[in-house]
Amino acid sequence: MPILDQGYQHWDGKLSGHGLRWLAITRQGVKAQFKNRWLISTLVGALAPALLLAAFLILWGLFEQQSSILEPFLFLFQGLPAEIRDGPKAFRTTFWTLAYTQFFQIQLFFTFLLVMLVGPDLISQDLRFNALPLYLSRPLRRIDYFLGKFGIIAAFLLAVTLVPAVLAYLIGLAFSLDAATLRDTWRVLAASMAFSLVVAVSTGLLMLAFSSLSRHSRFVTAMWLGVWMLGGAASDALEQAVGKQWAPLVSYSADLGSVRDALFDSDAQWERLANLFRASQEAMLNGPGSVGPGGRRGGLFGMLAGRRPPRPPSPPDRPGDEVEGESRRPPWTWSAGVLAGLGVASIVVLSTRVRSLDRLK
Amino acid sequence: MLIELEDLTKTYGSVTALAGLSLALPEGAVGLLGPNGAGKTTMIRSLLGLVRIDSGRGRVLGMDLAERPLAIRQAVGFVPEDECLFPGVTGVQFVAYAGELVGMPPRDALRRAHEVLDYVELGEARYRRAESYSTGMKQRLKIASGIVHDPKLLILDEPTNGMDPAGREDILALCRDLARNKGMNLLVCSHLLPDVEAVCEYVVVLGRGRVLAQGRIDELKQPHSQEFELRVRGDQALFADVLARRGVRTEPIDDHLRVSLPDGEGVAALWEAADEASEQIRLLRPRRSTLEEVFLQAVGGAN
Repeated sequence: MPILDQGYQHWDGKLSGHGLRWLAITRQGVKAQFKNRWLISTLVGALAPALLLAAFLILWGLFEQQSSILEPFLFLFQGLPAEIRDGPKAFRTTFWTLAYTQFFQIQLFFTFLLVMLVGPDLISQDLRFNALPLYLSRPLRRIDYFLGKFGIIAAFLLAVTLVPAVLAYLIGLAFSLDAATLRDTWRVLAASMAFSLVVAVSTGLLMLAFSSLSRHSRFVTAMWLGVWMLGGAASDALEQAVGKQWAPLVSYSADLGSVRDALFDSDAQWERLANLFRASQEAMLNGPGSVGPGGRRGGLFGMLAGRRPPRPPSPPDRPGDEVEGESRRPPWTWSAGVLAGLGVASIVVLSTRVRSLDRLK
Repeated sequence: MLIELEDLTKTYGSVTALAGLSLALPEGAVGLLGPNGAGKTTMIRSLLGLVRIDSGRGRVLGMDLAERPLAIRQAVGFVPEDECLFPGVTGVQFVAYAGELVGMPPRDALRRAHEVLDYVELGEARYRRAESYSTGMKQRLKIASGIVHDPKLLILDEPTNGMDPAGREDILALCRDLARNKGMNLLVCSHLLPDVEAVCEYVVVLGRGRVLAQGRIDELKQPHSQEFELRVRGDQALFADVLARRGVRTEPIDDHLRVSLPDGEGVAALWEAADEASEQIRLLRPRRSTLEEVFLQAVGGAN
């Protein structure tokens, strides 16, 4: 027998409160997920749009200040209408909003990918290995169990949506050197937070419900892929077959996109930009002297003067609008209703599939 | 009292799992016996506050079942019958996780996990993945995760199920040590009577959701006034014939005879028979009931 063998010792340390007990499940789950190389690659990949967003906000801040640092990047601004070049601050809200909308559009892809990598095993594995008593025989309630599992998904999703969005916002704020930026762009920050939470709650609940439906994670993955990939295809097919306004509601990602656009009010910003580009295009094509070297185009920093005038800018394409001027998308409240309905259905599935141990063995 | 239950009733549809169960269990190691469907699992789940009881009340370690289920689960360790180990974690990670679920700070949980793994003699295998453990090792791991927070009461559901004799003896030795040397109260639910007898000093026999028998094991195994265990120096079969002629029933058991005296006869009849047969009695003691007999009698009586 080893000399230093102390055998069983009593323990009288301090225990944490019940309120945050679910954090133990989240902490352990997040740690375990980092063994997945695919997940790490996806996380790294999801950083790229965040870096682009931050870079854009930095550029925009410098553009607003007409900084000389921008000289190498002037080609980026050549296609902009003169109103923007002359008074970029008036378009701050528009460009920040559209930049964030694009960011979240790309992050939605990474979000779906992350949920697919993180979620399938969360509950199905516990069901497969009869691990529920491990949780429920301890001072945890069912809601703690669900919160802990949900926290794992939410941690990864917020890490690629909310965290980079807020960091980019702070960076953009720092580079704008203008206190009015906060007043102009607070909605972008609020919408970023709200949409990040909507995505985390909606996809998290849906994936947990899927995960509780099968003991095999590959089936759960298949269900998720079905919602992700087939939803869009089904929506297109329905739209062509019945041509009803509600057809896009079948697509889960379109529903999230619709809520995103409503939160950011991006349609109005796209419209504003499109009108501006249209007016600018007409002015350049029809207005006398409007594209000449001595015209307004030479006004920006005085650096573009004398160069060949750029092609008249075309209005930007607004995502989701196939027919100009006619929105074929259903109202965002319908999409929000679909997401809420899915959330309620997920909770019902969870509460019936992951029952307490109050049943006959 | 360790556990007090008063008229506890629990039904699942038309099935009555607990039918007015009332009992009071003292501190120490208690065995819970009963045939399948007796209500053992439901009773354990009731104690842990995992089922909503229909009527009745109860207290575990002085805490009310209905009012303080979380506090009870905090003070109780549970070793389930199911494997309930998920893959991908090492032994020490699993036990530390169990500690964190109870509310231990991560650092304390990890340190304590190492201690209890040493105690259950899994120290060498602590960094191996749990799915690679043998049945006995998995059982030890479950016990380690049950005692990581130093519970006042440890509930073990079929702790030796599916184990080889050596592994079974190790687990029983571990349970005995916890109960007798570490001051931990145990509730051992098993259908293996020798296991319960090896660990517990008190036993409850359940049947159809009721208590069929309960008491200290040494009291339940009462001595019989008319039955004895007897061994003689010479030919045992010959002496059995001598006894049979006197109306004494005999039954050879291992190296001795079990003898039943007819009513009205005393132990003197055995000495007289030995004298008559010029035989030397080497062992004579009153027969005590085995736990199995107590169990069968209780269950048979209920039927």
